[in-house]
Amino acid sequence: MQPLNITLVAGSIGAGKTTWIQQQVHTTAETVIYLSLDAGETAVDSTYLAAEVPGLTVLSAVQLANFLEHPTDGCVVYLELGFHIDLNSIILPDPMADCRRVAVLPPGTRHTEWHGWADVVVTGAEASITLRQPHLWRSALSGQVLDSASLNTFWYELTNGAYGTIQRAKGIFDVADGRSLYFDFVAGLPETTDMELNLPRWLNGRPDRFSGIEIVGEALGQTAIAQTLKDCCLDEQAIAYYQQQIKDLIEQGEEVA
Amino acid sequence: MKVAVMSCIHGNYEALNAVLSDIDDQSADKIYCLGDLVGYGPHPNAVVEMIRALDIPTCQGCWDEDIVEGLNSCECSYPSVLAEKRGKQAHEWTDQVIHPEVREFLAQLPLSLRDDNLCFVHGSPHNQHEYLMPEVDAFVALERVLVTGADILFCGHTHVPYVRSLDAGQLQIRVKSTGTTERDVSFSAPLKRIVNAGSVGEPRHGRPNATYVIYNTDADQITLREVEYDYQKTCAAIIDNGLPPIFAWRLARGLEFAERADDPTHVCER
Repeated sequence: MQPLNITLVAGSIGAGKTTWIQQQVHTTAETVIYLSLDAGETAVDSTYLAAEVPGLTVLSAVQLANFLEHPTDGCVVYLELGFHIDLNSIILPDPMADCRRVAVLPPGTRHTEWHGWADVVVTGAEASITLRQPHLWRSALSGQVLDSASLNTFWYELTNGAYGTIQRAKGIFDVADGRSLYFDFVAGLPETTDMELNLPRWLNGRPDRFSGIEIVGEALGQTAIAQTLKDCCLDEQAIAYYQQQIKDLIEQGEEVA
Repeated sequence: MKVAVMSCIHGNYEALNAVLSDIDDQSADKIYCLGDLVGYGPHPNAVVEMIRALDIPTCQGCWDEDIVEGLNSCECSYPSVLAEKRGKQAHEWTDQVIHPEVREFLAQLPLSLRDDNLCFVHGSPHNQHEYLMPEVDAFVALERVLVTGADILFCGHTHVPYVRSLDAGQLQIRVKSTGTTERDVSFSAPLKRIVNAGSVGEPRHGRPNATYVIYNTDADQITLREVEYDYQKTCAAIIDNGLPPIFAWRLARGLEFAERADDPTHVCER
């Protein structure tokens, strides 16, 4: 049996770990398996990659263990490690002992623990701010439907410092017209607009799929963030009302913007 | 004669004081106020008491009406559910702290004021909730001025100051009545203007400075004034008084506390 082609990807906040993996997937003809080791209930990266990258399969930790016992030939595996995971604490199962270790770091980074750990250092995006005590805050929103205008106001406030210093923020949100939107912010990089994920419109009640948000920052006003997000959410009646409107438009053969 | 016109103070006592002092420096002869004395800001009672003490002719704004009549507009008044929730928080806070005599004063404010060829309203002559945006259709804009019979219509409500001249207005109407043939009548409207005074206490032009206007009747000249004030004091009072801290964050950036409605000319009929 061929040795497994496994790559562990680590690196600093906002350096572009997920982006780098996405680029690798585009250049390979093989089946790609992806797992984010620290995602838990808030799987923003996994959901984003699964929706946007054809040929990529997202596995849970349990599924990965099964896969390692009975691997399929011709698969490449990428395991993404969060910035806050202690690299020395990772105990890898035997089949992964020979895996490749890649660190994605901002240009000019030297003498970090990633350098000692990685086989390859990839130059990623420039870091515009360095936080003394980066704090990760995340929240699962699955089942919630947000009002688009409110979401835009919240995202503007969040990324302009209304709730603390933000270095990195990304989120997937279900909105009233049934779309699932991906928002991405890295401090210092040009502002990107939100993008619609390649997922079907959800028009039957509360969506049974992942949505959620991850924020890395300092002095985060967590209560205010949570309250504002809550205030952006629609109630049952409003969800039903908007979904019916979209269904009617589709039925009439009209283009839904 | 110099006429100073201000609007949308929204309980921001610091901003009001700074504007009154600037009006004094500009040696204005008269002051008019276009309403929205309360709502969002931390000092609604003090603002109203100051306006009363100086006997400034004032018309009723939409927030003044809501504090008197109770909040009864539908979600159409808000651009988002978030803005609606924040608006309601601000309304409830103001409703709790407002003094009975202040409420009585707001209740008796007129919807419009007239001074010779000048007319003063909060939103539009039709309703204090209607937004006359600078880009509103020229016919609609002209109709709003013509209906008052004045030459210059002063309004507020949008929180962004502007001057709009409506000249060379050609109107064509068709008169139909039973028993007579149809008749087309054309006439040209004389020069009319809409002047938006911006906002003293809750600006939306991207800077925290208060805005108001001065009209010099002799020179027929309109000047938009932008006045710096200690907005950090108002921000601190917002937080100290238990209003949502996001109001202070937005005030410091000239972003207004909520935002205007999606369809600015839509007027809630409730």
